[in-house]
Amino acid sequence: MQHSRRLALLHFWVAFGLFLPAVVEGAWQMLMRSPLPAPLRYPSMYYASVTLHGTVMAYVVTTFFAMGFGYAIAETSLGRPLRGSVAAWICFVICITGSVMAVATILAGKASVLYTFYPPLLASAWYYLGVFLLIGGSMIWVVVMNVNMIGWKRDNPGRPVPLAMFAITATADLWAWAASGVLLELICILIPRAFGWSDLIDAALGRTLFSVTLHAIVYFWLMPAYIALYTLLPQATGGRLYSDTMARLTFIMFLTFSVPVGLHHLLMDPEHGSGFKFLQSFLTFLVVLPTLVTVLSISASAEIAGRHRGGRGLLGWIPALPWREPMVLASGLMLVMLGLGGFGGIINMSYAMNSMIHNTSWVTAHFHLIFGGATVIMYFAIAYEMWPRLTGKPLSSKRLACWQLWLWFWGMLITTIPWHIAGLMGQPRRVAIFDYSMPFVARMASLVIISVIGGLVLVASAILMVAVLVRSHLGESSLTEPLRYALAVNPPREVPSSLNGFALWNTILLVLMLVAYGYPIAQFFLLKSHSVPAIEVTRRSIFNGTQ
Amino acid sequence: MAARRIEPFRLHNPWVKIGWLSTTGLLAIALVLGFVLLGREQQNGPPVSPWRGICSALGISPDVGPASEPQPPLRTPTRIAWTRATLAQIAEGSGKQGIFVAMNCTACHGERGVSSSGLYPTLAGMDAAVIYKQLDDFRAGKRWWGAMNGIAQALSPEASADVAAYFARRTDGLVSVGNERSQGGDPPGQDTPAVRLAFDGDPSRGIPPCAACHGPANIKLGAPPLKGQRSAYIERQLAAFAQGMRQNDIDEGMRTIASQLTPLEMRSLAEFYAAPLDAKPAEQ
Repeated sequence: MQHSRRLALLHFWVAFGLFLPAVVEGAWQMLMRSPLPAPLRYPSMYYASVTLHGTVMAYVVTTFFAMGFGYAIAETSLGRPLRGSVAAWICFVICITGSVMAVATILAGKASVLYTFYPPLLASAWYYLGVFLLIGGSMIWVVVMNVNMIGWKRDNPGRPVPLAMFAITATADLWAWAASGVLLELICILIPRAFGWSDLIDAALGRTLFSVTLHAIVYFWLMPAYIALYTLLPQATGGRLYSDTMARLTFIMFLTFSVPVGLHHLLMDPEHGSGFKFLQSFLTFLVVLPTLVTVLSISASAEIAGRHRGGRGLLGWIPALPWREPMVLASGLMLVMLGLGGFGGIINMSYAMNSMIHNTSWVTAHFHLIFGGATVIMYFAIAYEMWPRLTGKPLSSKRLACWQLWLWFWGMLITTIPWHIAGLMGQPRRVAIFDYSMPFVARMASLVIISVIGGLVLVASAILMVAVLVRSHLGESSLTEPLRYALAVNPPREVPSSLNGFALWNTILLVLMLVAYGYPIAQFFLLKSHSVPAIEVTRRSIFNGTQ
Repeated sequence: MAARRIEPFRLHNPWVKIGWLSTTGLLAIALVLGFVLLGREQQNGPPVSPWRGICSALGISPDVGPASEPQPPLRTPTRIAWTRATLAQIAEGSGKQGIFVAMNCTACHGERGVSSSGLYPTLAGMDAAVIYKQLDDFRAGKRWWGAMNGIAQALSPEASADVAAYFARRTDGLVSVGNERSQGGDPPGQDTPAVRLAFDGDPSRGIPPCAACHGPANIKLGAPPLKGQRSAYIERQLAAFAQGMRQNDIDEGMRTIASQLTPLEMRSLAEFYAAPLDAKPAEQ
């Protein structure tokens, strides 16, 4: 992995370098919402901070992590240098420029609109341009991934694409579909208004376009974790992957089922009819299929390894697994959090049950558990697995790494479980300050304080993670074995062409998107406009004589 | 057919067949459930006809069409919308021209726009957009106050923008409250109810903080700065909003908020905002 090593490492450092301050911010936000005294207790600062936390975590960290992971996979799994590395460097520069623009605008207090934009709120044009450069720039990565997979297929006719490459290409295609919504919203609605080229903002159309992104982006975040489960975990346990075909089907189903479902984020919005809300709610449930297939495959793969290591009896293979390996430990903890978060998610996506928890802290708690918990803990494990291969230096301490993973797991549970309950009690989300002298709010006080403690544990864990990575990076150089991906029990000699590429599935997804989103978007042009004047968060006063 | 050679349309391939059949099947089930069954069932009242059910599932309800019964005339709270044309008009206002218009205001609003009576607001330092909107509301009869309606009718929109610009540039009247919560005069952590309402609102009653629109947290276009305003004036406006006597707030924001406030809260808020701020007394 000579050629793209620096490329991948740089992407990972950007991701984890920004991750740490964003975790600290999250903990401060928790503190500010609590009855405990917090420094800098200003609502305006809270919203700026939430915007920064969301933008960094949801756009910057994840995109850079996935891109770095993709470059590393392309070179190691295909066993040849990355094609288009110049384009990849250009992509890096564009994305970094965009990230800096967005972060600087938020820090200047000119973009406190939260990372989901919420039109008709209007931020400074610099923020939108920055996010546009970051997400639009990452489309170069999407092209590079597809070019590498297609090029390899052309040079190796009839041979199955290595699973890791197949999966990261599915991730790239999914990201292109997901990003289409937010990019259209930025180009057609927000940037023209921010520059003053248009007068009004069609808030409902903006929300609808963003919903295309809002759910699929979650699966874009989750995909690297699944790739690790399928291609790295069986290797780390010393076993084999249970089924290559099931893995391919899982990634195909994630690609097709995670985009035409975003309207379930708008179940309480008035601009859409109940039919399309139900349709997309129904399609959302299908994501259960690849999730359960994964749980089965991963458990079966782990059982193969556990029995190979001497585990006996019905469940004796579980303790026989090498739990001191960060990848194994992280996967186990991930499945626990995925299970808890997944059941919560079923409530969110249900048309009727959603109304109980809509816009409450339950939702924030849910996505922190499933993304911040289940997904990010796998990012850590991937980093621990990749670091020796990228730096050529061994991991400084597997024991510290395991400690870090446990801390993250408990921190996340301590933070999110009370947070869920506060949401059920009616605590609204996106609120900076609560008056704990009010009886309605006072009964949530102890729950919120427990969440704050969890947040501090998470900060400790994040510091530990960066410390382990830095120590490993600065350690003495020594050769380590190259990255190997898990072999399947029955390694595929050839696979049907439909399971070796995405032409069929992208076409099916196009049809699903036309059915699910065609009318909901077209209606804004056919029937009604929801255009309203913008609320400029950057505006202080147009002619304030006192300034 | 050329299309048959492209992979997604090679229907003899079992995976292609499975892909399309399962997609079609799932869509058909979801569409029938969502548009036929769910659209038909109404929460209040008997099931509707299939056609109306489908329309309602699409989000088209029958009462969107022309009304069959005579409707009461639509009442809008103001004629002003914050379009760029409006903002450009306000921006073109000339403070120098405004001096002449402002001579008509001094009798009630005080010398240089600093009021000495609780009946009339201080105008100095008020946002130009606020003054412009209020003048238009008086002109259009959206807000009522004795002589003001006649005075506003005598003013052209250009003259309104001029006088608005004049008062907005005066520095001796209203000021934006700073970021410090403790400017109510209390040490931090021991906020009075008025300070809490001003900066935190009351989520349990659905009252947003005053600071969210009137500054400093954010300034909503059309919302005046309050610090330095006459307390009796603020209190009476709150009461007028609460009782629906004053109705020119866009989206009924102030009417909704004020109707939730107790008379005591109105008074303490008015006193909080009227209290002098450091070396900048409201009255001269």
